[in-house]
Amino acid sequence: MQELVATASLGSVYLLFALGLSAAWGTIGILNFAHGAIFVSASYACYELLAIQQLPVQVLAVIAVAVGALLSVVMQVLVFDQIRKRAKSERAAETRILIGGIGAAMIPVAIASHRTKNLAFGLQGSGFQASVWEFGGVRITSIQVVTVLCALGAATTLGWYLKRTRAGLALRSLGVDDQVAALMGIDRRRYAWATMAFAGGLAGLAGVLLTLNLGAISAESGDALLVKAFACVVLGGVGSTTGVVVGCMTLAASETWVLTQTSGMWVEAVSFGIIFVVLLLRPQGIFGRQEVRRV
Amino acid sequence: MSSVYDSNLVLIQSALVAVLLALSIQVPLRLGVFSLAGVGSYGIGAYVSANLVLRYELGSIPTMALSALAAAAVSFLLGVVIYRLAGLYLAMATIAFDLTVAVVALNGGEWTGGPVGLFGVFTDLTMGLLFAVVALCLVAVHVTEIGRLARRVTTVREDPELAASVGINVRAYRLTAFVVSGLVGGLAGCLNTLTRSAVGLQDVSFHLVVLALTTVIVGGALSWRGAVIGSVLFTWLPTALAFVGDWQELVYGAIVVLAAIFLPTGLYGAWCSARRQFAVSFVGRRREAAVRARLHQGNVDKEVAAS
Amino acid sequence: MEPFGPKHSQKRSRGQLVGGVVLASSLFLAGCGGTAAGPGGAGPSSGDELPETVKVMVSVPLTGPAAFAGAEAEKGYELAAAEINESGFLGDGVTLEIDVRDTQASVQKAASDVTAAIADSEVTAVLGSLSSAEALAQSPIAEKQKMPIVYIQAGSPGVILGDYTYRFPTPMSSYYNILSEQIAKEGWTSIGMVYGAWVPTLKELGEVAIPEMAEELGIEVTSSVATQQTTQDFSAPIKQVLESDPDVVSILQIGPANATAMQQLRQAGFDGPVLGNSSAGANTLEPAGENGAGMIWPVDFAPGTDDPASIEFIEKYKTANNDEEPFPYAAEAYDATWFVAKAIEAAGSANRGAVKDAMVEMAGGTWTGALGSDLSFEENSLKVNGTVIEWDGTRENVLYSAN
Repeated sequence: MQELVATASLGSVYLLFALGLSAAWGTIGILNFAHGAIFVSASYACYELLAIQQLPVQVLAVIAVAVGALLSVVMQVLVFDQIRKRAKSERAAETRILIGGIGAAMIPVAIASHRTKNLAFGLQGSGFQASVWEFGGVRITSIQVVTVLCALGAATTLGWYLKRTRAGLALRSLGVDDQVAALMGIDRRRYAWATMAFAGGLAGLAGVLLTLNLGAISAESGDALLVKAFACVVLGGVGSTTGVVVGCMTLAASETWVLTQTSGMWVEAVSFGIIFVVLLLRPQGIFGRQEVRRV
Repeated sequence: MSSVYDSNLVLIQSALVAVLLALSIQVPLRLGVFSLAGVGSYGIGAYVSANLVLRYELGSIPTMALSALAAAAVSFLLGVVIYRLAGLYLAMATIAFDLTVAVVALNGGEWTGGPVGLFGVFTDLTMGLLFAVVALCLVAVHVTEIGRLARRVTTVREDPELAASVGINVRAYRLTAFVVSGLVGGLAGCLNTLTRSAVGLQDVSFHLVVLALTTVIVGGALSWRGAVIGSVLFTWLPTALAFVGDWQELVYGAIVVLAAIFLPTGLYGAWCSARRQFAVSFVGRRREAAVRARLHQGNVDKEVAAS
Repeated sequence: MEPFGPKHSQKRSRGQLVGGVVLASSLFLAGCGGTAAGPGGAGPSSGDELPETVKVMVSVPLTGPAAFAGAEAEKGYELAAAEINESGFLGDGVTLEIDVRDTQASVQKAASDVTAAIADSEVTAVLGSLSSAEALAQSPIAEKQKMPIVYIQAGSPGVILGDYTYRFPTPMSSYYNILSEQIAKEGWTSIGMVYGAWVPTLKELGEVAIPEMAEELGIEVTSSVATQQTTQDFSAPIKQVLESDPDVVSILQIGPANATAMQQLRQAGFDGPVLGNSSAGANTLEPAGENGAGMIWPVDFAPGTDDPASIEFIEKYKTANNDEEPFPYAAEAYDATWFVAKAIEAAGSANRGAVKDAMVEMAGGTWTGALGSDLSFEENSLKVNGTVIEWDGTRENVLYSAN
């Protein structure tokens, strides 16, 4: 049972982070490698704010969402839009977007690591103390409950939005063929900004929740999560919200299992082994759509 | 001169190793295979060579040959399993491979030294040999960038279906990409161990994947000259940026962003188009057009003759 | 497509020419020979007296994950150099100049700094990196090319290779067992561990030093779980350890992971004592608040010490740094710099070989400095007694010092 709580909580952190990554990648085709930097920056901004003014965590969460969304849109306008404009083809843009994201990520991380000297920082200034509840020997903290609820809420909303609303369908059409979508009168730039704001906001929320959950993070904490979230999205299948949920929970379950049952030395080998096997059996991820190839 | 050379010796060695590592990513990229397995091969080469020297006391040349072959063999097996994957799915699968190599390195006991790594790997490697090996690799890659082979490579990358329809064995080309990437990557890892005389977990990390990819894309993805330019740039950049002190990460990031935006074909590509533009204004537009038309005709003729 | 691929015959022949030139130049260089490690610079010549300026290079990480440690160490290097110069320790008109370089958390840059120092004929010695990975890259170059190098921290095996390599102090695992006094006093009989197996020093503690200490004390290691660099959530390994019901838990992690593991350990319902490691210092546990209280760990140096030589250093440091208390890194760096200066003075020469000979002799004797009085060396590393620290939720307190 305790393993289930650990899995749900870890999987939800991955999910909050991976949802934004997946939303931008599956619709407007931007695999943002600066997602981890946005996540850290939002949390770091809250930390700096707490040094000036004590604020409750609810307010911090709102601020983090705003900071994340803003940073994400700024990157879209200053970096990704510019790369797209100058690239000859979608394929040529793909790798440059990766590199642009890697470069853009270094800038806010450099500021945060300079200011914190790369030491651990937390949000203890908010005076927040997680309460621990015990049900029949299973311990669960309030922050874990909030994380799981936020993650599931965000996943459900995103899934519903993409499948059931007009705007969502327009976004999905961009993910399938953006040129035809543009011909159908879909304003790609506007949708791109909205999507990036949503993705960045989720990263910001994840930043605050994870910092509260873990107690402390450092300026470089985003990197490890980025690789894992990328793996989760690929595992589930790009463009599928259900896929991301399944991918995150699978990875979290396998890690929790290895860390509770073994000496823990091979935890990453098990995770990456699973990704490998899934890709061999389902080259487009568990829930990915098959690409139609022209012959 | 000699003093400048001596004090930059490690950077020169690093740049030479970086060129090979970049090629191990670039060669598959030129064939349309987005494989980052070169970094895993680099790790294999690095650890295998350390063992060959420490346990069997081999000289530098057999060590290079054996560790490159070992990495190529693993890379070939990987290729057989995953060559069907495409795009970022392939990238993820190969990153998973790289990180699995890292896990093995951490858990390899006395074969890998765990988190400490292996050290004291001294051989008879000379700078001359190092230069010669790297030059040999560059010449070999250069051969694939000229003539008929270059056109076939381009076709396999740009339109695999077309390539298959004119009788090119696309699968063989893709598998070759894995083997070459393994060879060159393994050699790079081996040379890194031999020049540094130590190997550790930092020689198989996600950071290396990022570095190698950045090198290739910023330098130029379609020619070995791009890999060379990128490697030299990213090897000297940290030293060159020392004057900005604590903010070098920030400046470094800004440079990468600017390169991604304004150099869509990398530094080498930018240089080529600048040269072409210069030629146009110098020779005159009309003559350039005439030359272009003639060349185009020549290429078509050759293509017809080839098929 | 292929905007810059060679397309026509003229270009092709030019391309082949480039290949040929590369090959020819490489053959030329092959003819030049020279080992891969390069020819060693001789360094300052062995004259009868010291030159006016004796140059020493410092190569430590000032950016990246270990930036904090590097920056604190820099204060120690500079304090010692200022003192040496003000007191005229090296003789009238002789100044010790330290050239501080940032390794930028890059193994290559760290190695490159050492080759640059070797090539610079004015450099007498190097104060090497505090990161094990970087030190492992610096040592073989320094040892092979006869450049004296003195490290702080860098607790990995393979850092000390011979007479040219020294370290302040010995690795943490060599004095970790001073905790056994506390364990015996409290009567704890079992221990469970969550350790970061990807860090050389922590792996050594988790797999060798602590099990050995446990065996000596006759206590049982109930469970031991390794975590990786990417592990950020410790609830799963903590659960496994707590299921074995140990009296004391050992949390061996780096940086923010210490605070996380402490918080999750408390949330999982364990309120007993915790053994940690020195990377929980520098207020790393502060974000965990009350949950961090109760972690104890040994350090090589603590401001609360009663050693007279250490107290003298602390006073000097406070005067120079707005009354701040020094971190161990500063004390280690201070001693390392003095070690170099004393070797130069004893040698009466800035020559690398002569300074090395003086260092060999000094390493055979005792050492008194910021890290303590009458300490001895073991395999060119300074042996410290160690002090046990307890974090009470807001600050570090000295529990006791070993003799």
